[in-house]
Amino acid sequence: MIRCENLHVTFNHGLPTEKLALRGVDLTIPSGEFVTVIGSNGAGKSTLLNTIAGDIESTRGKIWFSDRDVTSIPATGRTKDIARVFQDPLAGTCGNLTVEENMSLAYGRGKRGTLSFALNDNLRAIFKEQLSRLNLGLEDRLGAEMGLLSGGQRQSVSLLMSALQPSSILLLDEHTAALDPKTAALIMDISSQIIKEKQLTVMMVTHSMRQALDHGSRTIMLHEGKIIFDLAGDKRAGYEVKDLLQLFAQARNDGEELDDDKLLLGE
Amino acid sequence: MSLFAFLGTLEIGFIYGLVAMGVYLTFRILDFPDLTVDGSFTLGAALTATLIVLGFNPYLATLLGTLAAASAGIVTAWLNLRFNILHLLASILTMTALYTINLRIMGKPNVALIMEPTMLTPFEALGIPSMYMKVIFVALCAVIGGLLVAWFLNTQYGLAMRAVGSNKRMAQANGIVVNEKVYVGLALSNGLVGLAGALFAQTNGFADSTMGIGTIVVGLAAVIIGESLFSTRSILVIVMSCIIGSVLYRIAVSMALNADFLGFQASDLNFLTAVLVTLALVFPKLRREWKAKKAKGERL
Repeated sequence: MIRCENLHVTFNHGLPTEKLALRGVDLTIPSGEFVTVIGSNGAGKSTLLNTIAGDIESTRGKIWFSDRDVTSIPATGRTKDIARVFQDPLAGTCGNLTVEENMSLAYGRGKRGTLSFALNDNLRAIFKEQLSRLNLGLEDRLGAEMGLLSGGQRQSVSLLMSALQPSSILLLDEHTAALDPKTAALIMDISSQIIKEKQLTVMMVTHSMRQALDHGSRTIMLHEGKIIFDLAGDKRAGYEVKDLLQLFAQARNDGEELDDDKLLLGE
Repeated sequence: MSLFAFLGTLEIGFIYGLVAMGVYLTFRILDFPDLTVDGSFTLGAALTATLIVLGFNPYLATLLGTLAAASAGIVTAWLNLRFNILHLLASILTMTALYTINLRIMGKPNVALIMEPTMLTPFEALGIPSMYMKVIFVALCAVIGGLLVAWFLNTQYGLAMRAVGSNKRMAQANGIVVNEKVYVGLALSNGLVGLAGALFAQTNGFADSTMGIGTIVVGLAAVIIGESLFSTRSILVIVMSCIIGSVLYRIAVSMALNADFLGFQASDLNFLTAVLVTLALVFPKLRREWKAKKAKGERL
């Protein structure tokens, strides 16, 4: 379970460039729920995710994982509970390490590295088996340098890596946005499989309203650092992209049109 | 080149193989260009020599010299991580401070070890001529050091350190404490360099306040030469190629200095080093350009 209470994040506090990225987010995500997060550029989606992951320190407010207050725990200390996949396929893996070395790092996520060998035949067998799920032929390229793989392949491996170590929370930050449609669909497929299999609590940021409605069981929209609507259950089931747009206009309440091309086109 | 000169060349090559491994750890593994080594090489030598003259066991003295050099690396890491001083500048600050510290440790610009016991003293009973003995001893030190470094980099901890140098964000997302790895990496690197300094002082019979000048360039030269000889992903081969690169570099320099028709003097060493390193850096790029040009020509 993730619980955020009155979360505020301010960048460049006290400077002319001050930005209120989050302005009082209250959010409770029960265990096993898959929440999709939408919002225009600068709405605070990534900030929210990064604050939960611990990359960004909140200016005010608290964060709990289950009943553990993690507000003051840095990112590295939260990795026992959190697995992440980033938007940039290059961000989630080390380009000059091999596929198996990258997987070994993820296999040790949240544990202290010891002085035993990072790789052995036992681990290689596990990695091989996992990689074969992707049907990309990567199971035969364990020793290949990560940098030689395509963006889609790297993102696929990142995704597998996030599931190598048991965690309760998976944070996906537009993890299909940088991929071609076919690869994006494949990645989304594997994501759904892993989430189901491991019964993870998931937050997925996406630019595509279609994707937000098609996946998960709840959708929240952020605008200017606040949650402006929170859809779940039967109500959400009947929703289409145009309904979301309408809801957005209503929530704004001042008739301002949604002018973000990406949101409108992002079906 | 005489046999005696050749053995001397090999000896220095192996000693600087340790330096090259240290430079490899910072420049290549951690992506942290660290010039502290110019100071920590001397620190290792100065402290070890001074302690030996004071009557310490040479092995204990070497250990203390190595640890002192390692702590110099920690200071550089601290300046960079705690106060956000640019890594290059942080290491120059430590190096500059070390110049004074080394003079203070020795109490004079140089300490002679001619008649003192060294790490080699226990092996004199074997009856091998000293000029061979020295080479064998430093070669063993370099190879054992290399095996240990390669082993370390292949452990979970070492792999985490490589991840920190490759992609900090990924490392962090996988629970790796980045700063800790930088501290440990710089300590190891400077420790290796300090050990090289201590060995140099004992095999050459002196420690001198200026002996560390150019250490970083020589280490980097060895790393680059090693890399251009072997293109491999095996950490063990890469680390060992640091030693081979260092020895080859020394042989190249000594041949250049010995070739009478070139007219070089011993004092031209630094210039030759700079030229050799520049060539080693430029050559791979030029080769790529030539290849591209050639490929283009064939298409036309």
